[in-house]
Amino acid sequence: MIGSEHKPKSIILKQLNILKATALATYKDWAAYRSHLAVSIFVGPVTFLVQIFIWNAVYSAENRLDSTLSGLTLNQMLAYFGIATTINYLIYDSADWDLQTLIRTGNFITFMLRPVSHCYFAFCEKIGHRLLALWVEFIPVYLLFLFVFKINLIPANLVWTLISISLGFVLMFLINYCIGITGFWLTKTEGLRRAFLVLRDLCAGALVPLTLFPDFIQKILFFLPFQFVAYVPTRVFIGSYELAGISLSVPCVVGMQAVAVVVMFLVYKLLWYLGIKKFTGVGA
Amino acid sequence: MISAIRMHLQGIKTALAVRMAYRADFFISAFIMLISEFFGPLLTYLIYSNESSIPGWSMYEVLLIQGIFLLAKGISFPFFFGMVWNVLERVQNGTFDLILIKPRSVLQLVIVTGFDSEDLGKLLGGVALFAVALYHLPPAEPLQWLTFAVLFMISLIVMFGFGVILAGLGIVWIGNYRVYEIFSSITNFGMYPAPIFPKLLQTIITSVIPVAMLGFIPASALLGKPTENTLYAIIISFVFLFASLLFWKTMLRKYTSAGG
Repeated sequence: MIGSEHKPKSIILKQLNILKATALATYKDWAAYRSHLAVSIFVGPVTFLVQIFIWNAVYSAENRLDSTLSGLTLNQMLAYFGIATTINYLIYDSADWDLQTLIRTGNFITFMLRPVSHCYFAFCEKIGHRLLALWVEFIPVYLLFLFVFKINLIPANLVWTLISISLGFVLMFLINYCIGITGFWLTKTEGLRRAFLVLRDLCAGALVPLTLFPDFIQKILFFLPFQFVAYVPTRVFIGSYELAGISLSVPCVVGMQAVAVVVMFLVYKLLWYLGIKKFTGVGA
Repeated sequence: MISAIRMHLQGIKTALAVRMAYRADFFISAFIMLISEFFGPLLTYLIYSNESSIPGWSMYEVLLIQGIFLLAKGISFPFFFGMVWNVLERVQNGTFDLILIKPRSVLQLVIVTGFDSEDLGKLLGGVALFAVALYHLPPAEPLQWLTFAVLFMISLIVMFGFGVILAGLGIVWIGNYRVYEIFSSITNFGMYPAPIFPKLLQTIITSVIPVAMLGFIPASALLGKPTENTLYAIIISFVFLFASLLFWKTMLRKYTSAGG
């Protein structure tokens, strides 16, 4: 009996059961606050409306309506913002905040006694949370963008897009989780957390297309992992990738995204190994 | 009045003393508050650096609008907008009751105990952006400065109105910190020249919800480009303030003390 518990099949089943139970519990927990998530149905389209007027004004200047800006036409620019907004609803993450709060309050100690890795538990929580967001945030805003704003939100290649968004989902979690781990070293890390988030959103292309930045900044951004969080899934959705004058095929850039996930996982393992030794459980 | 000012100063002193327990985090947070507000100006810079423009407006004119917007935020967020977070947190934790039993106006107490020192970073950013934009623009006449000063004071009144509405929402919409996102999405319209919006929207942002007063209208006065509906916007700003206070009172009556 004990031997069978260590068989690969039973380990996978056990992990799947943990995933199912945690995701379901998180889903039910957050369903009580679904109106908090539903705020996006107002905020997303209103913010997007401002973007529509800005870019319409910019492209209408000097009759540029048919020309491109940083390689993007007006429709592509609006599609970029629409796609980036909706993808963000799928990959959004708060693992950094959750982990740092657990460490600061000392409640993290309860996870050290549980027969499951906290990282896996937090990842399952994210899945549950985003499953709720799928119908409360993503679908309503997607339909609004598609039918009200007439934005082309049909992926160029559905399979590659789904793979790229999934990798972005995991990468966003790993980056945020690593930020959360800094809580083992620092007593109060809110400032540092915010600094990372601003840097991440800016470098990930969540706020503006990275091709709008000057060339030398684009070259730096190309070598950072942040572009794989939002910029790459958005460009894969559109069907073409270009940054710092480098054009890559969709399979190639998704492959690079997968490598970034593996590298980030190794960074998480290293940080965890060093950080967990610092935890004293003060405040528990 | 003197007693109220003294109480406010005491609130600031206490909040600063508490925050200084984690000095490094305070300075990083204040700096990040400054940086995180620079998305609008960054977008403006990127548009103009890519040899594009917003028709009829130079880069520094648009940056002036955004600098004034940030300046208004930089004054309101530390000094009175903290009431929003304060109410949300207290209602959620159940400590809002402690405010209710004190012999002072509830609104005044949530403002005093809600001083947010980190947001002083926004003020610094606003001053810097305003100064840079002004440096690159032709000097304004004294009358333009006077008009600007009056309109800027009214922009603070509009900010106060927004703060009171959001704090009122926090009483009934328990723990929903996303009210800040609602505020940001609506006030985004005040950060850009109103002529880029359709006529109907221009009317809404000047004569219904006066978000144009937060940046565009004061900036236009300083640039010597007065807008058509300025007088309307001034009247509506005061109506907005009274409506927000009425809303606050209504929400306060609905408070059920169910948190904690």
